[in-house]
Amino acid sequence: MRNLTRTVAMGLALAALGLAGTASAATQAELMKLHRGGTLELISSSSEGTIDPQVNYTAEYWQLYQGVYDGLVTFAKGEGADGNKIVPDLATESPAAEDGGKTYVFHLRKGIKFSNGQEVTVNDVYASFVRIFKVKGPTAGTFYNGIVGADACLQNPDTCSLKDGIVVDPKADTVTFHLTAPDPEFFDKLAVPHASILPADSPMTDVGTKPLPGTGPYMFKSYAPNQELIMVRNPNFKQWSEAAQPDGFPDEIDYKFGLTTDASVTAVENGQADWMFDSPPTDRLSEIGTKYASQVHVSPLTAFYYLAMNVNLAPFDNQKVRQAVNYAIDRNALVNLFGGKVLAQPACTILPPGFPGYEAHCDYTKDPGTKWTAPDLAKAKELVKESGTAGQKVTVIVEDKAVDRNIGTYVQSVLNEIGYDASVKAISANIQFTYIQNTNNKVQISLSDWYQDYPAASDFLNVLLSCASFHPGSDSSINISGFCDKKVDADMAQAMSTAITDPAAANKEWAKIDQEVMVAAPMAPLFNPKRVDFVSKRLGNFVFSNQNQFIPELAWVK
Amino acid sequence: MIAAVLQRLVQMAFVMFGISVLVFLIFFATPGADPAARLAGRNASPETVQQIRHEFGFDRPLPVQYAIMMKKLFITQDLTSFVNRGEKVVPEILAAAPATLSLVAGAALLWVLGGLFVGVISAATRGSWLDRSLMILALIGISMPVFWLASMANLVTQSAYHDSWAFSWVPELGYTPLTKNPLRWFQGLVIPWLTLATLYVGIYGRVLRANLIETLQEDYIRTARAKGLSETRVLLRHGLRTSLAAFVTMFGLDFGSLVGGAALLTEVLFGINGVGRLTYIALGNLDLPMILASVMYASFFVVGANAVVDILYAVIDPRVRKE
Amino acid sequence: MVDTFSETLSEQAAADIAAEVISRPGRGPWATAFRRLRRDRAAMVALGVLVLILVACALAPLYAHLAGTDPFRPNLDGSITLNGQSVDVMQPSTTGLGLGVTPIGPTWTLHYLLGADSQGRDVAARLLYGGQTSLFIAGMATVICLVLATLVGVVAGFFGGWVDTVLSRILDVLWAFPIYLLAISLSIVLLNTTLHIGPIALTSDSLALPIAIVGVIYIPYVARPIRGQVLTLRHSEFVLAAVGLGIPAWRILWRDILPNVTTTLIVFVPILMALNIVTESALSFLAIGVQPPNASWGTIIGDGEALLYTRPMVALAPGLAIVLTVLALNVLGDGVRDALDPRTKIR
Repeated sequence: MRNLTRTVAMGLALAALGLAGTASAATQAELMKLHRGGTLELISSSSEGTIDPQVNYTAEYWQLYQGVYDGLVTFAKGEGADGNKIVPDLATESPAAEDGGKTYVFHLRKGIKFSNGQEVTVNDVYASFVRIFKVKGPTAGTFYNGIVGADACLQNPDTCSLKDGIVVDPKADTVTFHLTAPDPEFFDKLAVPHASILPADSPMTDVGTKPLPGTGPYMFKSYAPNQELIMVRNPNFKQWSEAAQPDGFPDEIDYKFGLTTDASVTAVENGQADWMFDSPPTDRLSEIGTKYASQVHVSPLTAFYYLAMNVNLAPFDNQKVRQAVNYAIDRNALVNLFGGKVLAQPACTILPPGFPGYEAHCDYTKDPGTKWTAPDLAKAKELVKESGTAGQKVTVIVEDKAVDRNIGTYVQSVLNEIGYDASVKAISANIQFTYIQNTNNKVQISLSDWYQDYPAASDFLNVLLSCASFHPGSDSSINISGFCDKKVDADMAQAMSTAITDPAAANKEWAKIDQEVMVAAPMAPLFNPKRVDFVSKRLGNFVFSNQNQFIPELAWVK
Repeated sequence: MIAAVLQRLVQMAFVMFGISVLVFLIFFATPGADPAARLAGRNASPETVQQIRHEFGFDRPLPVQYAIMMKKLFITQDLTSFVNRGEKVVPEILAAAPATLSLVAGAALLWVLGGLFVGVISAATRGSWLDRSLMILALIGISMPVFWLASMANLVTQSAYHDSWAFSWVPELGYTPLTKNPLRWFQGLVIPWLTLATLYVGIYGRVLRANLIETLQEDYIRTARAKGLSETRVLLRHGLRTSLAAFVTMFGLDFGSLVGGAALLTEVLFGINGVGRLTYIALGNLDLPMILASVMYASFFVVGANAVVDILYAVIDPRVRKE
Repeated sequence: MVDTFSETLSEQAAADIAAEVISRPGRGPWATAFRRLRRDRAAMVALGVLVLILVACALAPLYAHLAGTDPFRPNLDGSITLNGQSVDVMQPSTTGLGLGVTPIGPTWTLHYLLGADSQGRDVAARLLYGGQTSLFIAGMATVICLVLATLVGVVAGFFGGWVDTVLSRILDVLWAFPIYLLAISLSIVLLNTTLHIGPIALTSDSLALPIAIVGVIYIPYVARPIRGQVLTLRHSEFVLAAVGLGIPAWRILWRDILPNVTTTLIVFVPILMALNIVTESALSFLAIGVQPPNASWGTIIGDGEALLYTRPMVALAPGLAIVLTVLALNVLGDGVRDALDPRTKIR
């Protein structure tokens, strides 16, 4: 399964596989007859910024873009790991690599229309990719910098031209991509919402609150960030691939913003809303798990919480100290703080279970092996003693959310126990993430988390721990530990190049890199969280994909 | 008269200028508040961050940025949020104003009536069990943090007893405009009104009682009593009038700041999309344009309410008028 | 006004003594007041309650020692013996899907008397320790607020004119200013730097910071009613007469104006204490002042807010403590006011 997602030459195989997980093709029409219609009511405590699919980088809206926008390829709308599969969407098939992985030729499907009535053409495809750079999208320089001509676009977005990188042929309906180097994750990057195909005449600036037309079964009707977002059916939508973009059940999807999480739980209990975006507060878990058990869906997330330790600052510039922290932390205690065994599991590796490249392995536990069992405080204290850093002042920086504060306070007590003079500071959630990244702020140790953008080992290891992700003095330096190891970097480059031809072998290499990094221990993985989806009594066909989580358009309320 | 109004307006401008400069400076003095990286998005490349910084003008000198922002806020009124890009803050605040006004006006009515009731009854029955119990209730009202009271109100009316006869009339949380459905508007606001008013009934009742008792010992009240006026008449006609100074002053302060958006937690917990909630979100997100707009809005009402209070002094106490 | 200050010292002293003798013949004023207060049974009970609260908070370490619980250390996998059975402090849900972990509720025994918070820490022990911090912060802040507010209110109301205008507008700025923005900013600035204000060095866990912020927030709220009152007093016959007689301004303020605003001040003491304790919790939440794992009543209420549905006692206990303190202060305040007021009939 996981090999398929990584295969460059997988196109035909996948197209043939079609969908799995959701209602099968034979029954979709019948189900439509039974359940089509009604209004799906979603709620969230807050909106998440611009509605522009090429700029917004939040899970909350990526979830909605599934039913509104399409790329050349997309993640299949399927249950669990099926949602990690990449299937052709606006393209007729996922093409094989040419020119040693540097060229791809896509054939555009004919007859697909935007919600404004215009037909999708190859010019729209070209314009959409130029737009990524012109609107200064967050991933312009990290996902799409491999397209020929992208470098110049990054430097000078206003004069951006990708004439050499993306060649279109209106007569043959083909789009040819030229890359500067082979990229095993090229399809993943084409499948995320930032590569959505939009009308060529879309404004070349972030549209903010004015939604753009798309090609999916729904379109955004209105967006008021402090009130609600309304999605209605796209009158021009005709289903072309059930796997890529199935028709949706509800006639309308209303997304209301502003209730607290407690009030959201109550609203779902009372049937005033069908689904809440936020995780239910820990205080309400036992209530919904008992009285409303049939309305709760628990799904593993490909994500992890971790402590980032700054390898360039005392005392964490000492490998022994970082290892000591890894030994000392009781993952079970943290799991309890997060809501119990059902909601999280102890983590020992950077890659989450079930993810490409994951291999069960645990060094920092009482009996090293494949599983974390118990903390080894004796060993931790010994390492601290050897390092000669005991007694130093350490400040843990966490977000001011309830769970994070609790974890921070716990970590503080552990650091005190192994010999440090620790304090914990909870700062505004909106600032914490940028604050801990900037080396100028001299953050020693901080709590953070990471969720997959797309299913590839490099999305965790390369993004979080490569030299290229470390930008001293910048607020945007996702390598929070400041870990930069030439050997690890070389190994990661090697794994990525192996992935072009042999994804299975590459994943084995990634597993090794994971262990290699964990010896240096720039971070302490804490636990892999699970997602609790709490839905109304009337909501049916809850589908949870590993890539985009809950798929609203597949749920029915009738 | 016109001169007095003009003078007040000039003072208002000074107050708003002072606050806006302070807010602006504090924002940029905060490490990590730099909006460029947050606007650019997670894991954006340094080039992208740099371009965003330039596009939004964060690379210009602070006074220039301040001037531009003030111009966009007051003159062109097209200042947009740093977080919800494209969201114009001025229309957003204006759209949220009716909800806040509904909440605060209703609560104000409750707490003025409640405060008068508690204060007058307690003062009139001073030392009795009624006085004592009213004061205990008032102090309980003052001691309850509003977030606790609001959460408990929600727990009772929305969750635990939602289906009972007592609270089945309480609609789901949120604000329904008066023009859309007056009944729903009213039903939805009853619990928030009571919650918000509780604290103020306590404070006002307590303060009024003390001032009334003080006034009742003044010579002219004794004279009034000696003249044979009934105790009720003495209390209401002579006592209350002069005791209202503190009451009115506090009302001006509270009403002004609450209409300006100080009822943050009440609005957030009851899902009322008003100015207070906008302020709350803006502070949480460190969204400078929204913070500035909401603070300017709030200061307008604070200064305005105080001006009205100063005029009221003259009405209540003719002696002050001479100045 | 300037020339009025030229009065000689001896004249003042003479006038002072004369006034004292005339207004309170017989015993000294403080002795009178104290005697009256002692006779006020309600006030004495209130005083007793306050002393009890203070003593209980001071004895927090003793309680923690007896109960054998560490109020500052998370206890996530510990258990205690209750009625001969071993009970987990943090109890995972065993019904339905088994979601959630709930801390132990009130045991009404020495261990975890009022239950545990979300970290498995003894709420009762934290309540006593928290009382120390809360009463200290709120008490200091109340004093600061009353002193500054009286100064500003009296000066603005008495002198009027541009002095009043400037002071009033400063109060407006203070009242409309988003103090939480300042708090958020300070909390982050102080992560790496120490603020030096005169001889005081402020770090983010120094209690001077919440005292200062909380003390300043409500100044307009007290100063403006006082200003209003003084504005009225300024035009009363006795003040006009005093001014006409050329008595120096500061003496009028001290002898005629100030005693008349004490009622308002005394009324504000319990109100401010309550508001300050709650405001302090908001600051602690923003990493200013009381820092984890330390406790204050406000922070315990904050912790309890996340446990309202399962363990309401966590928020309720400190809430009751605040009500009790404020109530006692209020009754005592009434007693003190009555005792000081010469017009009150001796009961």
